[in-house]
Amino acid sequence: MSYELIALTMFGGMLLLMLTGQRVFAAIGFVSAAAALLLYGNGAIEMPFNAAFKLFNWYPMLTLPLFVYMGYVLSESGIADDLYTMFHVWFGRINGGLAVGTIGLMVVISAMNGLSVAGMAIGATIALPEMLRRGYDKVMITGVVQAGSSLGILVPPSVVLVLYGMIARQPVGRLWLAGVFPGLMMAAFFAIYIVIRCKMQPELAPVVSKEELDMPFKEKLRYLRAGIIPFLIFFFMTGLFLMGITSLVESSAVGATAATIAAISKGCFTRKVIEESVRKTLGISCMFMWVILAALSFGAVFDGIGAVRAIESLFITTWHLSPWQVLVMMQLSYIIMGMFLDDTAMLVIVAPLYVPLIIHLGFNPIWYGVLYTITCQIAYMTPPFGYNLFLMRAMAPPEITLPDIYRSIVPFVLIMVFSLILIMIFPQITLWLPDYIYAK
Amino acid sequence: MPKIIVLYVKYVDAISIKVGRATMYLIFAMIGCLLLGSITRNILHMPLSWTVEMAQFMITAYYIAGGAYSMILREHVRMDLIYEHLSEKTRAKVDVVTTFFLLFYLLVLLFGSVSSTMYAIEYGQRNFSQWNPSMIPIKIIMVAGIVLMILESISVLFKDIAAARGIKIS
Repeated sequence: MSYELIALTMFGGMLLLMLTGQRVFAAIGFVSAAAALLLYGNGAIEMPFNAAFKLFNWYPMLTLPLFVYMGYVLSESGIADDLYTMFHVWFGRINGGLAVGTIGLMVVISAMNGLSVAGMAIGATIALPEMLRRGYDKVMITGVVQAGSSLGILVPPSVVLVLYGMIARQPVGRLWLAGVFPGLMMAAFFAIYIVIRCKMQPELAPVVSKEELDMPFKEKLRYLRAGIIPFLIFFFMTGLFLMGITSLVESSAVGATAATIAAISKGCFTRKVIEESVRKTLGISCMFMWVILAALSFGAVFDGIGAVRAIESLFITTWHLSPWQVLVMMQLSYIIMGMFLDDTAMLVIVAPLYVPLIIHLGFNPIWYGVLYTITCQIAYMTPPFGYNLFLMRAMAPPEITLPDIYRSIVPFVLIMVFSLILIMIFPQITLWLPDYIYAK
Repeated sequence: MPKIIVLYVKYVDAISIKVGRATMYLIFAMIGCLLLGSITRNILHMPLSWTVEMAQFMITAYYIAGGAYSMILREHVRMDLIYEHLSEKTRAKVDVVTTFFLLFYLLVLLFGSVSSTMYAIEYGQRNFSQWNPSMIPIKIIMVAGIVLMILESISVLFKDIAAARGIKIS
């Protein structure tokens, strides 16, 4: 059996097993274990287990449970409610103001957390019901929450960039800084889209009554105070890390502590909240860690059959692609695979295949990290397989149906693809900030 | 279902839940450990070499020992393109068949973990670092966690078999 055929069989087997609806980690784990035993014999029996030690050595993964925990504490602690009111008061007058405010809220949440779970939970439980009550179009606002919360993995801190940093052996600090402007740019595009759409179709977003927003300017300023806590959390976590005071994993522990203190000071850190956040944290973290464990084992087998070389020779020697064509092929293949296969597993399996080739072709690995993350955002949102879709379905109010969720993402995915192309053409959007800061 | 199976499901689930609920509070230990490291280094100027490594051990124990409980919580994602259109009974039937893949993977993990632990005990394996801790405790915890995960998967299998026949146990 040729190596290409083995690789195809492994991918096909994985896809087939996933289609049966068995747990994702079991599908990937089985294919990797079976392939290891078939290819390398009984000596390979330790291979799947040894992936646990690769994961052990990837100590930045410690940020994962800490960020999940922090996200749940933030969404339970009522910090988000205040923030939402603040955005509401300040953006209420614009067409589609609440939706624009929700994007703002999502950017702030993203700056406090490295995953999209937190933004999704807060968006679905606070912003969505409020906008539905005011007669906003449900398809549009579902898209707003999904697109907005996906910024969580691009705006620093970001767990996806941590994972990428480990695979590509790139400094996480630079990667995080590289995500700042692309994240803000996308948020701005989302907001512009909402305003234009609501100007054209005012029925999508009824304007909030004047009385509700008419309040003394002093009062309005008072609401700005809601932004202080998030700013402090951002400073203690990402700020201290970028200044080199705390290490990466320590900064996530500082962030988790800051969120806990904020919740205690608001009197929201009750027994029930603790139990709930801690249990959900275990559940989500286990889900991700087991998928990564299985994917690492799959990747090790893949590496053993020389998949990196195979892809390189396929793209360059056989197909004679230019570097840019290779890049576009990679992004396309990732989006397509990400639709059908598990996104996190794809990241762990495919990135080690692509990154060496990217560096070899002379592209900047920091810049590629951002492209990769945006591609991930798209993959997380696109059906049939996307974590954000799963989360949305689990958390959204019942009147939002599955077809609503599917339809809602279309314009936002188009905006994301547009941003992706823009960043490909103008790498400075990502590289300017890290270059500027690290040049000093 | 035979009484012994019902009892098995009852006891294994109880153990998984107990272990999982104890494990879930490790998150606070991880936070505390990392916080300790940053405080002693920055404020007391007394860097500790073991805090991050300790947290690494904790997270490994966290997801391996918490695995069985996360199965009960039904947190593990599935690709539900086809799955979600099936009736509950059919889903259970499909799961009964495909649990084979889950068990196969877990058994390979178990073999690997046992042989790796034997090696660690025989040669007194230590982690290659400044702290240089023994790898034996974590490996034993991992073996135990994987065993519990297998026991829980069998319990889930029994529950699926029951559900496929339209019965509910536990």
